Amino acid sequence: MSETKTMTINMGPHHPATHGVLRLVLELEGETIVNATPHIGQLHRGIEKLAENMNYQQVIPLTDRLDYTAASLNNLGYCMTVEKLMGIDVPKRARYIRVIMSELARIMGHHLWLGSHALDIGAMTVVFYAFKDREKIMNINEELSGYRLTPSFLRIGGVAKDVTPDFIRSVREFIEVFPEALEGYHRLLTDNIIWRKRTMNIGTLSADEAMSWGFTGPSLRGSGVAYDVRKAFPYSSYDDFDFEIPVGDNGDVYDRYLVRMEEFKQSLKIIRQAVENLPEGPVNVDNPLVTNPAIEDVTEDISALIRRFKIQCEGPTAPAEEVYHAVEGSKGELGFYLVGDGTAQPYRLKIRSPCFLLTSALPRLIRGHMLSDVIAIIGSLDIVLGEIDR
Amino acid sequence: MEEVKLIIDGNNITVPGGSTVLEAARSAGIRIPTLCCHERLEPIGSCKMCFVQINGCAEPQQACKTRVQDTMQVTTDSEQLFSMRRESLRELLLRHPLDCPVCDKAGECLLQDLAYEFGVTDVHQHVNATFETFYPTSLIRYWPERCIVCKRCVTACAEIKQLGAIDIKGEGPTAQVYPAKPERCESCGECLQVCPTGALTENLSRYKTRPWLSKRVMTTCTYCGCGCQMQLNVMNNRVVGMTVPNVFGVNKGSLCVKGRFGYEFINSPERLKKPLIRKNGTLQETTWEEALGLVASQFSRIKKEYGRDSIAGISSARCTNEENYLFQKFMRAVIGTNNVDHCARL
Repeated sequence: MSETKTMTINMGPHHPATHGVLRLVLELEGETIVNATPHIGQLHRGIEKLAENMNYQQVIPLTDRLDYTAASLNNLGYCMTVEKLMGIDVPKRARYIRVIMSELARIMGHHLWLGSHALDIGAMTVVFYAFKDREKIMNINEELSGYRLTPSFLRIGGVAKDVTPDFIRSVREFIEVFPEALEGYHRLLTDNIIWRKRTMNIGTLSADEAMSWGFTGPSLRGSGVAYDVRKAFPYSSYDDFDFEIPVGDNGDVYDRYLVRMEEFKQSLKIIRQAVENLPEGPVNVDNPLVTNPAIEDVTEDISALIRRFKIQCEGPTAPAEEVYHAVEGSKGELGFYLVGDGTAQPYRLKIRSPCFLLTSALPRLIRGHMLSDVIAIIGSLDIVLGEIDR
Repeated sequence: MEEVKLIIDGNNITVPGGSTVLEAARSAGIRIPTLCCHERLEPIGSCKMCFVQINGCAEPQQACKTRVQDTMQVTTDSEQLFSMRRESLRELLLRHPLDCPVCDKAGECLLQDLAYEFGVTDVHQHVNATFETFYPTSLIRYWPERCIVCKRCVTACAEIKQLGAIDIKGEGPTAQVYPAKPERCESCGECLQVCPTGALTENLSRYKTRPWLSKRVMTTCTYCGCGCQMQLNVMNNRVVGMTVPNVFGVNKGSLCVKGRFGYEFINSPERLKKPLIRKNGTLQETTWEEALGLVASQFSRIKKEYGRDSIAGISSARCTNEENYLFQKFMRAVIGTNNVDHCARL
C-alpha cells in the first residue's frame, strides 16, 4: 500500500498573481490545498516609524504609498484623523472635492482589481478595457495635482488648491462615458460560463465567519453584511449623498465580484451628485496656524511670510491626545490611530489595514480548493501588499 | 523676606514679597508670553506682551513690572488679553522687513514664534523709514529694520557689561539702536546674545546655516582658563557659528570677543597641523618623534655648553592649570632653571 505524501511549494513572492510580494507556502495533496501559510513583510518600508520623524503635513505622501491603487482614499483617512486630533473643521467645498477625489480613487482601485483579477483567472481581454478606463482617471489626477497614481492632493484642513473648470469638465466627461464601459465589463464576465465556473462556490465565507475574521469592505459585503463606514459613521459630508450598499448572498468569489461591480456604479452616483452640487466657498480651513497663506500675500505681508515659514519648516502642532478615525477604503475600513504629544510630529501612527485582516483569512479560504482557485481567491479579496506591510 | 500669597488663574501661590507677577507665575509653571523680558536683565517693559488682568485694576497691568501683593487675583489668559497681545505683535511687525527666508535667526526667533502662535494676520505695512546701519564693531551686524526696539541689547550692555556703549535714538517707527559711546564697545557680543530677533547677528556666520540644520555641540572655551561654556554650531563638520545658553557654566551666556567670534581658526587652512623643522633654510613637515627628539637633543646640548640658566620658558594662558604646573615643574626639575614666565603675568 502506498503512502500519501504532501508536497510543499512556494507561491511568490515574485508571482504576478499574488498582487505584490505575498509569499504563500502551500501544502498540496495532489492538486488540492491541505494547508497554506502566508508570509508578509517583504514590502515593509517602515511608514509608521517614518511618520514619527516627520511633521503632520509631510506624512501625507507616505499614505499615498499604502494602498497605492487608490491613493486619495488613504490621504482622506490620514488627513481626517489629523483634523480630528487638531480639532479642525473642513469647509464644505473641500469636503465635496475630497469626496470626488476619493470616489475616483475607489473606481481606480476597482479597475486594477477587475483587470488583474480577470487576467489571473485567464480572461485576458478585460485588463485592456479596465486599464484604458483607469487611464482616464489617471489623466484627471494628473491634470489636477500633477501626479497620476499618487496625487497627494489633500492637505490638513482642506485640499492643495481649488479645482479648475477643466477638472469639473473632465470628471463630467468621465461620468458620461463610464456607464457604457461598465456594461462592457459585465458583458465580458458576468454571464460568461467560464467565469462563473471559476468563481461560483469558490472561497465561500458566511457572514458570521467573515465578521469574526475582521473582514470589512467589499469582501465583507460579499458575504451579505451591509457594513460600510460611509453609511455607518458618515464623514466628509457623505450623508449628503444618496447611494446604496450592494451586498452579496453566498460570500463566494463571484459575489465579491458582483459587489465590486455594483460599487463602480454607486461611486459614479456619488461623484455625479458631488459635482452637480459642488458648493462655492474656500477649499481650506480659515486657521492661521494650519493653512498656508497665499503666495501673493507672502511677498507683501510679514505675518503671512512668518506663517508660511513656520508651517513649512516646523509644521502645525497637535495636542497630546489620541484619536482613531476610519474611512471606507477601496478594500475595507482603513483606520488611522494617531497619538500626538504637543509637538509638530506624531508620537505614534498606527494604521489599521483592512488587507492585513483579509490576508489572515487566506488559509481558511483556500484550504480544500484546487491550486488554480488560490489565484481566484486572492484576486477576489483584492489585497494590496503596500498596505499590509506598510 | 516675608511671603506673599496670591491667586493666579485660580492657583494659590506663595512667593517671597517683592517678586513680580511674572516671576510668581513662572514659579508656578504658568506661562505668560514675553518678548523683552530676559532672565539676566531687570524688567524692561517695552514689548507690551505680558499684560495680565489684576482684580481691582481697571486696565491690564504689565506682569514683569508689577510687584505681588497679598490677596492679589491675577488672570493671565483671556480673550481680551489674547487680542491685546496680538495687536502688540502686529504693531511690532509693522516695520519688519520680509527677511525670514534670508535671516539667520529664522527658526529660533522669538518674534516669529510669537507671531505664529498668536496667529497674527493682515499686517499692512506702511512704515518706510530709512535707517543708519553703523555699528561700532565689524564683528556684529545691526539690521535696523528687523529691530523691534525691545532694549534688551541696551540693557545688557549697561547691566551685564556695565559699558553703555549703545543706546536708542529716535521715536516710534524710526527708533533704532545706535552706538552712543563707540569707544567703549569691546565687541563682546552681549547685545547679539540677548537679541530676540535677527536684528543683531554676528557678521562671520551669515547665510551659512539654519538653526535646525546645524548640530549644537557643548564645549568649553579654550582661549583662557576661565572655562566659559559655549555651544558650537556645526554643519557638515565645520564650525559655522556660536550660541551660548543663558543658564550654563560660570559665564551664564556671556563671552568675550575671542570666545564668541574667534572660532574660524578651527577650520583655517593655514592652521599648523604637523610639526615643522627648518632644514637648509626651509621649514619641512616632519613627525612628532623627530621634532621632539630634535628639541630634546638641542636642550641637552645648550644646557651642557652654556649652563642651565641659559634656557628660559614662557607658558600660555590657553593651557590648563595642570598643564602650567607640569610646565614649570619641567623647567625646574628637568632643565634646572627658575627662568619660568607666563603670558598672563602682566
